[in-house]
Amino acid sequence: MIRNGASKSLESNPSDDICPVCKSNRYLTPSLQFLINPECYHKMCSTCVDRIFTSGPASCPVRYCGKTLRKKGFHKAFFGDLKVERECDIRKRVGAVYNKRQDEFETLLDWNNYLENVEGLVFDLVEGGKEDKMRAEEKLRAYKERNLGEIEANKRAGLEEIEMEKRRERAEKEAARQRRLAAVREAEEEKMDVEKSRREVLEKLASGEGDAREITEMAQKVVLKKSGARRIASEAILQSNGSAKDPNLTIRGLKKREAPVAEKPYEPFGGVDLAPSRYVLQEDYDSEWLANAKKDQRHAAGGFSLHEYYARTMFEAFSGLGVFIEDEMGSKALPAVPSSIGTEAAAEASTGKIKVEHKMELDDVF
Amino acid sequence: MSEDERYRTSTQYRLWSYTPQALLALRTTTNQIAADRVREAVRRIREARNISSADTSEAENGRSASAAIPEGEVDCLTVEEELKLVAFYSRQTLQLGDHLKVPTDVKATAIQYMKRFYITNSLMTYHPTDILKTALFFATKTENHYFRLTKFADAIGKTKPEDVLASEFLLTQGLRFTFDVRHPFRALEGAIMELEAFAKGGVPPLPGALIVEGTLADMEKRVKIAHGKAREYLKISAALTDVYFHYTPSQIMMAALMIADHELVQWYIGVKFPAADGVMLSKVLEVIEKCADMLKTVAPNSEPSAAEKKELSALAKKLKKCRNPEKMDLVALQRAKREGDGEDEEKIVKKRKLERESSAREADDLFGPPIKKE
Repeated sequence: MIRNGASKSLESNPSDDICPVCKSNRYLTPSLQFLINPECYHKMCSTCVDRIFTSGPASCPVRYCGKTLRKKGFHKAFFGDLKVERECDIRKRVGAVYNKRQDEFETLLDWNNYLENVEGLVFDLVEGGKEDKMRAEEKLRAYKERNLGEIEANKRAGLEEIEMEKRRERAEKEAARQRRLAAVREAEEEKMDVEKSRREVLEKLASGEGDAREITEMAQKVVLKKSGARRIASEAILQSNGSAKDPNLTIRGLKKREAPVAEKPYEPFGGVDLAPSRYVLQEDYDSEWLANAKKDQRHAAGGFSLHEYYARTMFEAFSGLGVFIEDEMGSKALPAVPSSIGTEAAAEASTGKIKVEHKMELDDVF
Repeated sequence: MSEDERYRTSTQYRLWSYTPQALLALRTTTNQIAADRVREAVRRIREARNISSADTSEAENGRSASAAIPEGEVDCLTVEEELKLVAFYSRQTLQLGDHLKVPTDVKATAIQYMKRFYITNSLMTYHPTDILKTALFFATKTENHYFRLTKFADAIGKTKPEDVLASEFLLTQGLRFTFDVRHPFRALEGAIMELEAFAKGGVPPLPGALIVEGTLADMEKRVKIAHGKAREYLKISAALTDVYFHYTPSQIMMAALMIADHELVQWYIGVKFPAADGVMLSKVLEVIEKCADMLKTVAPNSEPSAAEKKELSALAKKLKKCRNPEKMDLVALQRAKREGDGEDEEKIVKKRKLERESSAREADDLFGPPIKKE
């Protein structure tokens, strides 16, 4: 896209230099300035505009155009290429009507479909023939009429957003200024403190009370303490500033964010409950042959724990007490088990083995 | 996850628990297949001998076997006979374990390995004296009782380390690669501990239940006596019968206790299963009674009677005659397999070497291999 100003020196397009209406030349009138009217985008110099339209609306002086123009509608073209200028204007106009935003749509696909729709309309307006243009205009108008409220709301929202952005910027600038000021003040205070303590030390030394070295050491300590306290205080201020956010400064239009649920501690066994159901594990059991293990700490040295032993013995005492193999295995198919285990190689290796067709066949290793 | 559900995750439950009928069916099919194979193998060897009767260089296998080949139809063992022999060799394993001074659970595990192995394998195919050594050696490993192989072989006597290792993979496969055996020994300690705690009082029997009030008279003493007796039953009767296949360790333990003191167990189970759940209570008691009956078939201090001994020696002789001649010498088979593998590999290596050499030779020439003159 070629901007008007930048193109001057580069291009020597004669149409840039000669007014198509009065044929006055830039060479003769250096202050030549072209204006356009978005009604028909015909270019003419400001003198012509003044001359023709000062007395009220008149038809465009370009041949076969004949559109009625007003002086108010004329302005300087932003782009050198008037086609681009026109397209931008159309886009602006359509965008003011079709001003939905992405977060109003449920899926990305819907949003993209909407965008494509709008783009089609714009294309019709820009490039289409007379019929297309008419149809597109009609569509735009109808849409505008039907969705007046929504359009207004979106417009306001957009404005608000811009406003918000501006306000936030202002607030940030203000905060930075405050920080700067505070830093300066702090530095001054520190300087004064140092000065003051030095004066005190000197006074003390002069009065001759106590040991000289002690006094200087004490003074140094005091200075350090003070500066430390100041640092902490300033940090506290900073933190309170940071946390006290203006609720108006939050960005609008973002999707609602849910507070993260506190994560539960990771459970490696997926919530398996191994609590015993047939017995209550005691802290301690009397057992003759454990007496020695209890007393002798050599048993516990390697990590052996009597509680582990208790848990295991008690578990084994009741693990499977209610398992009735006759009932449970009876329902299974009879040859429940090994269908030939041996591999191909094993089968080959066993020379001249008889092939007995049976599930139970267990091929030999040899 | 209740105690029962956790037991159901064990391989002992999933792979090694059968109803008596299923177990018998498995053993019968195994016996039949093995018998067929023995007959087939004998027939093959006889044919081979007839063909090459003049030829002295027979296959090593055939030669060693042919000496033992009896004339006439092979008289194979029946399922019952096999079972009797397995029981006999289980006793042998116990004695061997005593001789090697291994703990009870090692012996019990070894016996279970053997029993499990002979569900899907027949004595006619693999002789139990080979298998029981390997089983015992495995058991020392799985039960955390380290025993050096050479020492182990020496201690058994007339055994080389290769003999123990020859059936290593065979047994592993027969065990379907599951080495975990759940024993009732530790369970007994748990039950006794709790019973003693009940006797002293102040212990609730179930989560959320009241503290046990009315205990049996003279309970502490009774528990002690029952403990000793039950332990004997677990050590010997449980190992020598098929209870491991049909009942859970907890039930076996309760059954052993029940043999020792019927009233005590009835009271104990009554405490554990509240009256509201009457069905469960009666069912558990019934299963325990059944298990106890099975345990009683082999008393802890019983020895095979004279008649039984006679029968066993007759069976051993019979077994000698009907063994599968091709599976006689496991060590040789193992070696043959290993060497066979080695040969193959050697061939491949040689071939590769030749290829490499020829290609290197050709690459040495600046313009490649010479053009053959016509």
